[in-house]
Amino acid sequence: MIAEEVAKHKIILLVEDSKADIRLVQEVLKSSSVSHELIIVRNGMDAMAYLHQEGEFSNALRPNLILLDLNLPRKDGREVLAEIKSDPELKRIPVVVLTTSRNEEDIYYSYELHVNCYITKSRNLNELFKIVKGIEEFWLSTVTLPFE
Amino acid sequence: MTQVDLSTSYPDLARLEEPIHLYHQIQPHGVVFVLDEPDLNIVQVSTNAQQILGLQIDKILDANLEDIFDSFQLERIKAGIQDDNFDFLNPSKVWARVKGDEYVVFDGIFHRNSQGVLILELEPAISYENIPFLSFYHLAKTSINKLEETSTLNDFCQVIVQEIRKMTDFDRVMLYRFDEDNHGDVIAEDKLDELESYLGLRFPETDIPKPARQLLSSNWIRLIPDAKASSVQLIPAINPIIEQPIDFTHSILRSASPCHLEYLHNMNVGSSLTISLIKNQKLWGIIACHHQTPKYVSYELRKACEFLGRVVFSEISSREETEDYDYRMRLSYIQSLLIDYMSQDDNFINGLVRHNPNLLSVTSSQGAAICIGGNYTLVGRTPEEEDLNYLIQWLQNNIDDEIFYTDSLAQIYPDAIKYKDIASGLLAIPISKRNYVLWFRPEVIQTVNWGGDPNKAFLTTNNNGNLRLCPRKSFELWKETVRLTSLPWKQVEVNAALELRKAIVNIVLRQADELAQLAQDLERSNAELKKFAYVASHDLQEPLNQVANYVQLLEMRYQGELDEDAKEFINFAVEGVSLMQTLIDDVLAYSKVDMQGVEYQLTNAETALLRALANLRGRVAETGAKITHDPLPTILADSTQLMQLFQNLIGNAIKFRSEQPPEISISAQRLEDVWLFAIRDNGIGIDPQFSERIFVIFQRLHTRDEYPGTGMGLAICKKILECHRGRVWVESELGQGATFYFTIPIGGRERDRRRGRQAQNYLVGGGQ
Repeated sequence: MIAEEVAKHKIILLVEDSKADIRLVQEVLKSSSVSHELIIVRNGMDAMAYLHQEGEFSNALRPNLILLDLNLPRKDGREVLAEIKSDPELKRIPVVVLTTSRNEEDIYYSYELHVNCYITKSRNLNELFKIVKGIEEFWLSTVTLPFE
Repeated sequence: MTQVDLSTSYPDLARLEEPIHLYHQIQPHGVVFVLDEPDLNIVQVSTNAQQILGLQIDKILDANLEDIFDSFQLERIKAGIQDDNFDFLNPSKVWARVKGDEYVVFDGIFHRNSQGVLILELEPAISYENIPFLSFYHLAKTSINKLEETSTLNDFCQVIVQEIRKMTDFDRVMLYRFDEDNHGDVIAEDKLDELESYLGLRFPETDIPKPARQLLSSNWIRLIPDAKASSVQLIPAINPIIEQPIDFTHSILRSASPCHLEYLHNMNVGSSLTISLIKNQKLWGIIACHHQTPKYVSYELRKACEFLGRVVFSEISSREETEDYDYRMRLSYIQSLLIDYMSQDDNFINGLVRHNPNLLSVTSSQGAAICIGGNYTLVGRTPEEEDLNYLIQWLQNNIDDEIFYTDSLAQIYPDAIKYKDIASGLLAIPISKRNYVLWFRPEVIQTVNWGGDPNKAFLTTNNNGNLRLCPRKSFELWKETVRLTSLPWKQVEVNAALELRKAIVNIVLRQADELAQLAQDLERSNAELKKFAYVASHDLQEPLNQVANYVQLLEMRYQGELDEDAKEFINFAVEGVSLMQTLIDDVLAYSKVDMQGVEYQLTNAETALLRALANLRGRVAETGAKITHDPLPTILADSTQLMQLFQNLIGNAIKFRSEQPPEISISAQRLEDVWLFAIRDNGIGIDPQFSERIFVIFQRLHTRDEYPGTGMGLAICKKILECHRGRVWVESELGQGATFYFTIPIGGRERDRRRGRQAQNYLVGGGQ
């Protein structure tokens, strides 16, 4: 069953411009127990193109989870979030904002835009491991999401 | 104290008498014909015509001018009348036939009155020839030469009266100048030695009452050759053509009013000649010539006197104007300096008072006050602020104009009597509804030399039930002491004050503009600061996280391969990053404490304290701190900042504890206009020499090994209190524990804003 396979193999879309942060997420996910594929885009425009299967992303798979940084080149994370959450096709994909910003406005605004959760990147590596694993387990295993 | 109130104690002459210009008595030395044009039929005639011309009155009233004067003369006269060229006609020598072949020569003077009626007046010609032009020229030239040599106005006037007396040979010639109240001062006099001098005397307004002054304004020369002669009538009294009495305003033969004649009698004047001096259509003064006996002055000589009077008077005016002009120039120079000072100084009030010349110079005053927003800046001698408050209230209620001035404030505002020595004179300019600039002049006790008692200038006698006026008989010096009066405000000073008002209003408006601009700039820079704060919170943290995470990743991944040194180095790197992170957080917190972000609301200080304690509960538990507090008030403050304040101060009290478990007590006490909070601990205390330093950003008294921290906590406290317009300080000795105090104003921000303004204005008025 295709649906079964898709359910087993989770697609995570990471929207992040910093190479260091990308690598860090990759490192953390190496120890993941969930079978997944990490897809990386480096700016907001590419993120939307991926989600709309445009251009080079015409064969893109619909992600099961989006990890979104807020400060991005070309189109920033807030815009990406707003577009996803106002798009009837995309709005059910869980989006986790993963950012350095602890600015209250950013937090408030993100939830206004119906982000699923807002997480501040930790500078404690152990904590970061816990967080990413937590995200993965919670969103990809624990919760029941609509079948698409 | 003698107070002469000339406005009420005098009878109103205009009301008591019939209008002077309709007074139809005619002086008997000449003949009046009222003519019907164009044929020049005689419709009215003075009764003395019979005696002077030897003709029956009823014959004259039937006649035409041609019947009396020969027709040859009349051709020329008729031509002049048709062209309305009276200046050319007057005087015309006319020969009238009396008693057969005998001719008498008259000076004939024509005029057309306000009713359009032609009037011919005949005066006996005492010289058959015109005054030779050259002799008049010499007379005038000599006079003018003399005038040019004199320098002061008074000398100048003296020369005029001397020259006119020389020309006319009157016993007394006076130059009489009207002041603003229409009293007249004798400013120059030339007379026979034996006559009593009137020089320097003041004659009350009623001596030449308003109707008389009006006549003098329209009739520039006026002769009464015999003040004792009985006047004659006009027949018929009513003009048959216009069926009204004739307006005799411009008549040269019109009799003076009986009252004026009596006045002249009382002055012992037998004849008089009056020359009007007009400046800007206003009666400036008169030259009054008096003779003890009847005296006739020919029309030509009178005209010559008038001419001389006019020529020299134009010189007087220009000299007067020059004197004014010099003063005006000086004032406008002072004004321009003040305007410069005002625009250079931070505050225009400083510009007005801190330099020389200053505000006083604008009007040559002895004291001045600037009242802006209920605050006073005083220069020179002024009434007390309390008195000024009342005075300004009175001005607000009574004065609507751009300027108000008086030289006798106490007469209209009796409270001013108590500071008459400082402010009998007041000149006030409102800058706006409640803001004023005031100038003061002290009382000047003056002696006025009246020509006779002005209170008795006229007596009214009730004669058979008719009110009759009798002019006073005595013209002897009568001294009056004038009190409650300052030197008068000159028009140039009043104008200078008005100019200054304009300048101040402009500057005030401009400063308001600049303030608005400043506020805009501040808003912009505030917005930029906020942006910076965001950048600090995000962009600076990203690289820090990166360093921390990868150092840790190294440690994690290569755990077995690293020795103890490597692990220690990694720890130092992580700690450094961690400290950097805290510093950034604290700087951010510090920058977030700003006025604009503060939300003042009624805040229960106890709630804020409990929130702070909740945040500190970990450390409280760790250290076993005992924290007690009094009931705390509800105050106007920003609740988050208040909580942070408690948290920082109590956190410090715990951090800097001594060997014993910390004991911390929080109390509040109400002072006059602030709440005083105290946070007392039993910690290590602070050397008093550092009690200021600890509130400065990044200042620390200990190494981080001893006590961790960034040195920001107390700086943040201080800034929070600055935003609340309160204060924070510490009282402590080393080893004795410490008490941190802070105050929060009771009225909150609104009250503080006002106080802030007052403080600013106090600085403004710092010169007091």
